[in-house]
Amino acid sequence: MDVAVKLIFDVLAFSSIMVLVVLGLAVIASMMGIFNLGHGEFVLLGAYTVYIFREMGLPEWTGMLAAPFLVAIAGLVIEIAFIRRLYASPVIAMLATFAIGLIIRELIRVLIGGQYYAIDEPVPGSVSLLGVDVSAWRAIIIFLTGALMVACFLFLTRTSFGLQIRGALENPGLARASGVSTTRLYAFTFAFGAALAGLAGALMVPLFSLSADLGVRFLVQAFLSVMLGGVGTFEGPILGSAVIGAMVPGFQWLREIPLFGIMVGDLIQPIVAEVLVFIVALVIVKFRPDGFITKGRI
Amino acid sequence: MTETTANLADDKAGGKRRLPLSVLPIIELAMLALLLLYPILITYLTAEGETLDFNNYFVVRVTSIILLAMLAVSFDLCWGYSGIMSFGQALFFGIGGYFVAKLSEETGTTSLLVIVPAGMLVGLLSALFVGWFLLISKRTPTIIFVALGTLTASFAAERLVAGWQWVGAGNGMSIWDFATIFGTELEPGIGFYYLAVAFLLIAYLASRYLVRSQFGLALAGIRQNEHRLAFLGYRLQAFKLIVFSFAGLIAGWAGAIYAFHEGFVGPSTVGVTTSTYAVLYGLFGGVGTLIGPVIGAGVIEGLTVILSDNETLKAYWPIALGAVMLVVVAYQPTGLVGLLVSQRERFGSFGVRQGGKSSGTDDTGKATGND
Repeated sequence: MDVAVKLIFDVLAFSSIMVLVVLGLAVIASMMGIFNLGHGEFVLLGAYTVYIFREMGLPEWTGMLAAPFLVAIAGLVIEIAFIRRLYASPVIAMLATFAIGLIIRELIRVLIGGQYYAIDEPVPGSVSLLGVDVSAWRAIIIFLTGALMVACFLFLTRTSFGLQIRGALENPGLARASGVSTTRLYAFTFAFGAALAGLAGALMVPLFSLSADLGVRFLVQAFLSVMLGGVGTFEGPILGSAVIGAMVPGFQWLREIPLFGIMVGDLIQPIVAEVLVFIVALVIVKFRPDGFITKGRI
Repeated sequence: MTETTANLADDKAGGKRRLPLSVLPIIELAMLALLLLYPILITYLTAEGETLDFNNYFVVRVTSIILLAMLAVSFDLCWGYSGIMSFGQALFFGIGGYFVAKLSEETGTTSLLVIVPAGMLVGLLSALFVGWFLLISKRTPTIIFVALGTLTASFAAERLVAGWQWVGAGNGMSIWDFATIFGTELEPGIGFYYLAVAFLLIAYLASRYLVRSQFGLALAGIRQNEHRLAFLGYRLQAFKLIVFSFAGLIAGWAGAIYAFHEGFVGPSTVGVTTSTYAVLYGLFGGVGTLIGPVIGAGVIEGLTVILSDNETLKAYWPIALGAVMLVVVAYQPTGLVGLLVSQRERFGSFGVRQGGKSSGTDDTGKATGND
């Protein structure tokens, strides 16, 4: 029982981080049809903001509060300067975001001197959940992610700005004809996606130490989540990231189960479990190219 | 009106047509001449005293650049000629390297007569498998899916070899022996250099033949308008798979030789970083020209070698590369070669021209047959 609660909690915590990363990526992908290859570096920028604030002597939580806004500004500048002119050709835009990501990553590598930095959890200690002690910070991440998902959903379905976004998603030409400035909307969407990534980076950095390659490890998993869930839906990518997030610890956990008298762990090495996630995800995407959710687009 | 246009077209196609000044062959020949003369020039230029050391550092470094240029050519075949955004071209490069490293460790094979076909075969088969998985389906897969699929494959392979003790895990594998050819050991140096040039030349000419043939004409059609070509009865995905596999063959071949040249193969060889560099060489030099990526690899890696002495610049170099890539993508999509070569020439001519008519009978026959 304890093990099960702990496993579910771990899966939830990892999935929450994935949801935050993936939500930002999916918003941009659905809206503009661009897979932002620099998204991992937005995550990194968020983490780096926390580090900078800590270096200035401020507590960690101020950095976490500021990260989404600062990263949003960075995203906005990048959109206006480069991405805006490339919407017509998504592949070229993808290459451009890749180049931007490379610049940010290598810049931060120089700035932090290629080191690994541990960032303390703003809320240390543990809380008791169903009689099991779990990390308080992870619990906060799960709670924040849940709240943010609800907020995003309400924003998209209940506000007039959300309506404009949905309209532009459905039919950009018609939205423009109705007087909605898609240019402004796209800029906002890009900044919003960046903000989500920044927040994800800021929240996760206490769990993983800060290094220049922090974003890269999430990027491929995030892409697969979006493709698993389906582009253009709200709940699809969330489901996709939950699946990917569950698979990562899930496959590791599978190794502990004895099967036909032999330990599966003897056959599946930890590294194989990690690679298996990619392969399973690719196979699913191959046979369901539209993702899990194809109906009920927002 | 129609008559005049027809006449004009006739004139153009007929004997009176002025031959356009072609720049591409000149660039290609100049590059070949440069590659052939380089070791001699650099040895005389850097010589200290009376003794000439033809196996010097500059020759050895440029040998690896030439092998990376082969990787760049294989990327160009995918992206420049068949619209497959291969973000994981290093996968085949690295697999080729790992395979021959393991082969030589287990069996002691160092003969190039075995190494080269082994690398080619492994590259071909792995590309065939990845390509079959990503490209062949009832519905045409999106370009984004293929790009992310290749990226994922490369990333997954990197993670796999980095944690797999059997292939040396994070430390990679060292190859202690030199490659041999007919029993003679081939140290990195001038001999190896000319061998690499010969390999690049063969791979280049084979690719050039492929993309300029009638097969290449169909590829050009796919680039222009996929739907139309599909409507004409071409099996686009099969065409793409053939090019992708051939590119994998070249990458695996280059990777096998590269592993023996460096005496080492590590997880980064198979992973995202090397894949990125392949993309960068191609875009910087100019995709869709074949010679462009070779030049791109030469310029970028050449500058890397020059800058590697300076510690400060070395750290900022990847940032500069990112900036270059951004500028090229946004403002100069045809790359360095695009500055010299006209759009029309980049497109090229296909097959043999006979009496002013292009010899497209084979294709038209196929097209009508399927309609």
